[in-house]
Amino acid sequence: MVGLDEATVTKRPYELEGGLVRLRAGRCPECGAVFCPARLVCDGCGHRGLDEILLAPRGTIYTFTQVHQSTPEFATPYDLVYVDFDEQVRVMLPCAGEETPRIGESVEIVLGRGPRLVEGEPEEGPQAVMVVKAGTERSDGNG
Amino acid sequence: MDEVFVIGAGMTPFGKHPDTTAAELGASAMLEALDDAGVALKDIEAAWVGSVFQGMAMGQRALGEGGLSGIPITNVENACSSGSTAIWDAALAIRAGAVDVALALGVEHLTGRFRGAFTPDESDVEAQRGLTMPSVYAMRAQRHFAQYGTNSEQLAAIAAKNKRNAVANPLAQFKKAVTVEEVLASRLIAAPLHLQECAPVSDGAAAVVLVSKRKRAELGASRAVRLAASVLKSGRAEVGLKDMTVEDLTWRAAEAAYEQSGLAPSDVRFAEVHDCFSIAEALRVEGLGLFPHGEYPGRVVKGEADLDGRLPVNGSGGLLGKGHPLGATGVAQVVEVVRQLRGEAGARQIPGARVGLAHCRGGKAQGVEGTACTVNILTV
Repeated sequence: MVGLDEATVTKRPYELEGGLVRLRAGRCPECGAVFCPARLVCDGCGHRGLDEILLAPRGTIYTFTQVHQSTPEFATPYDLVYVDFDEQVRVMLPCAGEETPRIGESVEIVLGRGPRLVEGEPEEGPQAVMVVKAGTERSDGNG
Repeated sequence: MDEVFVIGAGMTPFGKHPDTTAAELGASAMLEALDDAGVALKDIEAAWVGSVFQGMAMGQRALGEGGLSGIPITNVENACSSGSTAIWDAALAIRAGAVDVALALGVEHLTGRFRGAFTPDESDVEAQRGLTMPSVYAMRAQRHFAQYGTNSEQLAAIAAKNKRNAVANPLAQFKKAVTVEEVLASRLIAAPLHLQECAPVSDGAAAVVLVSKRKRAELGASRAVRLAASVLKSGRAEVGLKDMTVEDLTWRAAEAAYEQSGLAPSDVRFAEVHDCFSIAEALRVEGLGLFPHGEYPGRVVKGEADLDGRLPVNGSGGLLGKGHPLGATGVAQVVEVVRQLRGEAGARQIPGARVGLAHCRGGKAQGVEGTACTVNILTV
């Protein structure tokens, strides 16, 4: 068994730092490739074991959609975005807020389960995080 | 390596078959392919069977229903490319000289199995955050819009073209042409994609019989079609910030297929490509090098991909018009190419077609560009 003791990153995908939510990710010490969530092995060069890093609390919308039909576990409609981070990694996240997301807009990571209708603590699992447009006033973690 | 020929093709009607089992559909397609090839059950030396959501041992169930057992049967799951991966496997065995006659079957029965949209596996990080298959392509469409000025009317024209082609295909799920306006008036699934721009839930099966050059000569199979290239690739890990309108996976499969066949994109007379969504057809065709990057949707509006156009795309109706029983799709594409090359495509026949390409690309998993992609090039 190789590296499975390190495979806990998806359990809680973020760290809180001074009120900012930062996604946990892995950077390859060999080639510098960044993965979010981290992986056991670097897919860029095959190096085993990535250094844990925290992504910037903000990123830029690369693309977006509004989902009108999903599976029964999700409340529609909801917005999804791919967010590009300065660390050269792209992450897909739900986007909260009334306005349609736009390419190039700045967003910040917040806690909240997004559109998923789930039981239990929202801070557990990949669905614990989402984004809002940067500077948005936020009433709660569920958007 | 030995040359490979397709000598038989069979396919059930695609659509809703609530009273028929997957095994019955599979057996029906297999028996039609055998009859078409003029070979008997006992002639089949090995079989590969593609399906996605059919549970354990779909191949043994389908072939058993059709009276074939005892031979090596391999079940293949490779998302939407499961059936075309079965063809790749069968061709590989013939090329290696391991067998002379092989069956590739694709089968899927989805009616009643799904509520809502298809998603990646439930363990997938993006699926847990709400990603569906339509939303992946919707987000790629937004980039195509932003980078190339593509618009919804152009994408709707792709769907309208394929549904129009399907009317001429008696095996297609959809029997009625729709206008661009009707496509745009259908409900949104994931903006900017509408219902009529998404492949339907379908049941169906398709099969081909593949043989070696020696066996083809022995059988005197005069209607044989040469499998000039069969390539399978998987998506590379996503490292860095890639352009989501570029299909590296499709291009790598295509490049290898062009090399294997000694043909160029300009030699391809027509193509069946994996149009699971309207935008997907554009991404595939551009990725295959058949149209300039970013230009395909506009060229569809001009009629260049019509049955009588410069390069007909999805003359069968494609996934949007013919239907998309996942595991069967990749085989059905090859069945269509075979029938076109034999001049047996009826009202949708492309005159004088000698080189056809089938592209199948399926699935989604977080962190890779795509899961599996096949390109098969067939010639007469």
